[in-house]
Amino acid sequence: MTFAERMLKIDRRIIFLVIGLCTLLPLLYPVGLPIKISPEVRGVYDYIESLPEGSVFLLSLDFDPASKPELHPQSISLLRHAFRKNLRVVAMTLWVSGTGMADQVVTQVAREMGKENGKDYVFLGWSPGGTAVIMNMGQDLYGAFPADYNGKPTKGLPVLQGIANLRDVNYAVSLGAGNPGVEAWYVFGKDKYKFELGGGCTGVMAPGLYPLLRSGQINGLIGGLRGAAEYETLIGQKGKAIAGMDAQSATHLAIIVLVILCNLFYFSLRRQSKQQGHSGL
Amino acid sequence: MIFLRRQVPLLITLITGLVFAAQYYVPHPASEQMLTSVTKWLQIIGGFALVLGVSSLFHVHAIKIRRKEAGWGYSFVLYVSMLGTIAVGLWSNGKEAVDGAMTSFGWIYNFMMVPLQGTMFAILAFFIASAAYRSFRARSREAAVLLIAAVIVMMGRVPLGEYLIPLSGDLSQWILNVLNASVRRAILIGVSLGTVALSIKIIFGMERSYLGGGKE
Repeated sequence: MTFAERMLKIDRRIIFLVIGLCTLLPLLYPVGLPIKISPEVRGVYDYIESLPEGSVFLLSLDFDPASKPELHPQSISLLRHAFRKNLRVVAMTLWVSGTGMADQVVTQVAREMGKENGKDYVFLGWSPGGTAVIMNMGQDLYGAFPADYNGKPTKGLPVLQGIANLRDVNYAVSLGAGNPGVEAWYVFGKDKYKFELGGGCTGVMAPGLYPLLRSGQINGLIGGLRGAAEYETLIGQKGKAIAGMDAQSATHLAIIVLVILCNLFYFSLRRQSKQQGHSGL
Repeated sequence: MIFLRRQVPLLITLITGLVFAAQYYVPHPASEQMLTSVTKWLQIIGGFALVLGVSSLFHVHAIKIRRKEAGWGYSFVLYVSMLGTIAVGLWSNGKEAVDGAMTSFGWIYNFMMVPLQGTMFAILAFFIASAAYRSFRARSREAAVLLIAAVIVMMGRVPLGEYLIPLSGDLSQWILNVLNASVRRAILIGVSLGTVALSIKIIFGMERSYLGGGKE
């Protein structure tokens, strides 16, 4: 067996170890390279920045714990920004398995920013129906959510004053890890009820949402941990996303090096077999 | 019986399909009120679908356990976990926390479900790296193009990549915004046209597979 053959059949546990170290070491010893802001993330930031105080900001946390590392920092940054701008925050989720996590993040950031439940923000929780919930909210918000997550009737809550349905929402952002998520909010929400929509998603989903972004169907997109890190940079509050960028940089680089090495070995093997073929003739 | 099992569902599909396709273009209050009522029905049906899904899951795994099929132990674990979570969830009134204090349901959620799902997703990074090393090879011209594009995007999406090759950020943005978006859009348009065609076939009764394959 040649060296190239041996390297191509390398024990995968060695690759696992390399990836593990590339994740762990930068977390222990951060470098803190500068993060460039993309126009997609700036789109969401600028729109929230342009909203006057008291505007209605709807945040739909459409993800479960599997996507927590990427979407949790996005939610924290968006909530901090919205609370800092004194917007009325209406949070909810379309994913039942994400309800507890969504409640925790909203409550945690609201407490940190000194906001009052029911007056400055409300967490509506989860309601069955998936995309039907969006349509129902578009028709009648109180029909879709007669009570908030804590069981308080939504009708009469000061934070929801003057809001009858999705038409009264100034800006909505869906942080989606799949379906229902950003696309569903566009198709069943924005298209009919004409509110401005932004999106956030996991890194693997981001390329699929670019057509919506390019056509203006969403006005901005926060993609993966990188997007979250950009948002943290924009609001000037470092968090888990910026801390994770060094680890992501190292793992990306490790994978690129691995791919290049594998191709080098592959071509050297191919050349060897060609040479053998020629000499055999 | 055929009338109830075939003709009635087809008639309901035809009428509701046509009415709600037209409803989108009619902003009259009566039309909007109709949509409001129907979306409420949809939400209620969604709730029943959840019950149906859970009971179906129970049924499938109960059979596996009873027959002691291969991997029945996993089904048993699923059964115990699901019943346990339901019991604890009902006990805690479905709340993870009450007045800031974590409930037992919250404990299950925070210390079992969140780490388990997180671990499953995190393992992906290791397998992707291993799979990339084993199979991401420039075997053809197309594969080479894919490989180069992937390397550029991977470099351009992280600060270290942009630091080492400053152009990678802009190149990556161009690939995502121009090449990727146009191809995705073409696929989306194709899928959407297919959906419209299928919807028309369902509304007019040409496509009936959704009715199930029972004997007539």
